[in-house]
Amino acid sequence: MTDQTQNVKPRVSFRRKYHRFFKFEFIAGIVLTGILGALVLAATWLFPEGGRTVDLMARLTPPFLSWEHPLGTDPLGRDILERVILGGRISFTVGILSAAGAVVLGTVIGLLAGYYRGLWDTLIMRFADIQLALPFILLAITVIAIVGPGTDRIIVLMIVSQWVQYARLVRSSVLSLREREFVQAARSYGLRDRKIIFGHILPNALGPLIILLTLNVANNILLESSLTFLGLGADPQTPTWGGMLSEGRNYIQTAWWVTVFPGVTIMLTVLGLNLLGDWLRDELDPLGRTSR
Amino acid sequence: MTSFLTSLLGQLPRRSVALAAALAVLPVVAPGQAEAQSVLTVAQSRDPQNLDPIDTFRVAWGSVASNIFEGLILRNEDLELEPGLATSWEFLDDDTRIRFHLREGVVFHNGEPFNAEAVQYTFERLLGEAGAAGPQRANYTSIDSIEVVDEQTVDFLMNQPDPVLITKLAGYGAMIVPPQYIEEVGEEAFDMHPVGTGPFQVVEYTPTVGLQLARFDGYWNGEAQVDEVNIRFIPEAATRMSELLSGGVDISLDIETNSVETIRNAGNVGLVTVDGPSVTILRFHINEGITQDPRVRRAITMAIDRPTIIEAMLGGLASPIASAQGAGSFGYDMALEPYPFDPEGARALLAEAGVAPRTEITLDMNNSNDTFREISQVIAAYLQAVGLELNIRSHETSVYFNDILANGRTGEMYLFGWGGWTFDFDNTAYLLYHTGERNNPYIDDAHLNALLDLERSTYDRDVREQALQDVAAYANENALDLPLYNTATLYGVNERVQGFVPAPDSRMRYMNISVE
Repeated sequence: MTDQTQNVKPRVSFRRKYHRFFKFEFIAGIVLTGILGALVLAATWLFPEGGRTVDLMARLTPPFLSWEHPLGTDPLGRDILERVILGGRISFTVGILSAAGAVVLGTVIGLLAGYYRGLWDTLIMRFADIQLALPFILLAITVIAIVGPGTDRIIVLMIVSQWVQYARLVRSSVLSLREREFVQAARSYGLRDRKIIFGHILPNALGPLIILLTLNVANNILLESSLTFLGLGADPQTPTWGGMLSEGRNYIQTAWWVTVFPGVTIMLTVLGLNLLGDWLRDELDPLGRTSR
Repeated sequence: MTSFLTSLLGQLPRRSVALAAALAVLPVVAPGQAEAQSVLTVAQSRDPQNLDPIDTFRVAWGSVASNIFEGLILRNEDLELEPGLATSWEFLDDDTRIRFHLREGVVFHNGEPFNAEAVQYTFERLLGEAGAAGPQRANYTSIDSIEVVDEQTVDFLMNQPDPVLITKLAGYGAMIVPPQYIEEVGEEAFDMHPVGTGPFQVVEYTPTVGLQLARFDGYWNGEAQVDEVNIRFIPEAATRMSELLSGGVDISLDIETNSVETIRNAGNVGLVTVDGPSVTILRFHINEGITQDPRVRRAITMAIDRPTIIEAMLGGLASPIASAQGAGSFGYDMALEPYPFDPEGARALLAEAGVAPRTEITLDMNNSNDTFREISQVIAAYLQAVGLELNIRSHETSVYFNDILANGRTGEMYLFGWGGWTFDFDNTAYLLYHTGERNNPYIDDAHLNALLDLERSTYDRDVREQALQDVAAYANENALDLPLYNTATLYGVNERVQGFVPAPDSRMRYMNISVE
């Protein structure tokens, strides 16, 4: 009996592990994000013109007719394939930088607040509550009205309004971790607070954080598109997905390709990132502690 | 039907005999199946926000209010001035006194009679405290006071000549309002539910949603063809188009030029165009940056192929212009030519002015103008061809007009569109070029001020025309701004609509329109 179980067990666990690791979410997510990411990284090299070549004679060329404009052209005669790929630069930059900025800021604040508690903790968390109550688009429109439009401002704005989610998540992990034996032990050895926080607590709070991060990148790509759609993002000449959607909507009855291709690209990107996020959650946080 | 009846019954005590008679018939009609109401549904992009004539300068107001209000003078769809509530007028005492003879038998929607007191009240209100709070008063300050001669005669005493006054009496702020009604309900209630002498009366105004009008049976000048007009405010151009194509609205105003193809391809909807007063120009920051130099401003103008923009981007539905006015405007000079499209010449001028290649300049605009957002990028491409890098900054509309433009915070160039509804260059030129005007943050030129003051102070048409042409020529010579084009006013009209006459000034009159 004992021998049999020992013979069977590793096989089952290997298959389960294999199966789990290469789940559909992972494959689809990696493929989608990977292809789009690679194209975007190569964009500057592929299209040095920056997608700004206006050709009024070739405006609104339908897609799939020529190799010159495989996805057709927009109302100014610019190549849609080129602009979709270049548009990813802004979307990915905004998505990744804003999420990265927010995660760093939020994590540090969350760690300190959760570890030291006290008055600062209360103040910061009440401030976080207030910030969570402000709708982002409304805040963005107001701030942009004051400081003027621009991609850099949008990134800062997203960091300022999103660190809160990370801070709350990290703080709640820290609150339970700081009472655990290994932290108590570290403290009794006389380790410095800094070493305890970053060496012992942070690694254990990392799982949920990474999941939230992936989901947020996707969310921020959508937000950037919304703001550009409203005409509050980048310079209209800069190719962006939201800007292309916005420009194409007046032509949707006569030239569907102007809106459909950037729209589909946004969808695929967000889908890819969300699938990756779901997979990561299953891997790192099987009990579902991450609030979405 | 119900809401219409309720509103009639609600106003019963104040109604005229004619309406009381009409109401006497109602019990016969109302309980059974009333005959089908004919309703005209109209979409326009903006909400007037306030229906009081003295509180507005919005085209959105003009598009609805000519159905509710009337002035002493009426300007018809051919832009000719006709007697309105005044039957005739004469200039007396060296042109310092203008006498109006008023039409008899006219009543307001609430039954109040139209007479000399109403005229006096209207203008005293406009020139007094209530008017000072709104934007219309400034157009009428040449009027010193109003004298009632008798019930049907009224005199305007002028403190200075005003050559455009008769036109302006057909305009926004000069609509005649009912004294008793305003005293009774107060200014704020009047903003939302006004009463005039026009062919339709207000049933309900819901800000940002719509305005419902019903036929006024006591109207003096014939009878409206439809029972109700339902005006919907739909800011999103694509939504307006969908509503038009699906038959949800009968007429759509504010058609964006880039929708023209869609309408032309649709079977059930026609495109109606008329030469309008609206001009689109780029203005220069003449006090800062490289655009201080007139040679640079000229070069920028010459670098942009305006005829091609009109053909390719505006479907040919616009005309090139050499000044901020269309061909229908008083003060337009046939002989004044726009700068030619000449990129070589532009490059030479820029080199002469010492502008380094790839110099960056900025264009500011508002974010609600889809058509221009595209055109701005074409302009950027043309400028790039002569060695200028254009950054385009778009702002939320109210921020743009109230802050960026009004406080002179623009870049080297900024967008300005204006519909000079008087079709007299005075209206546009004064606000573009006279020192201290709200829409003129940069230009302070003694020569222009003198010309503008001259044309405003005389009734002599020849002197005025010459002065206005001189203003246009001077602005052109110094390239103070970059006149792009004069757009046609576009309407989308469903084929079931009969009797549609396009208004060049967007001041729609729905009285003679019927719906099959």
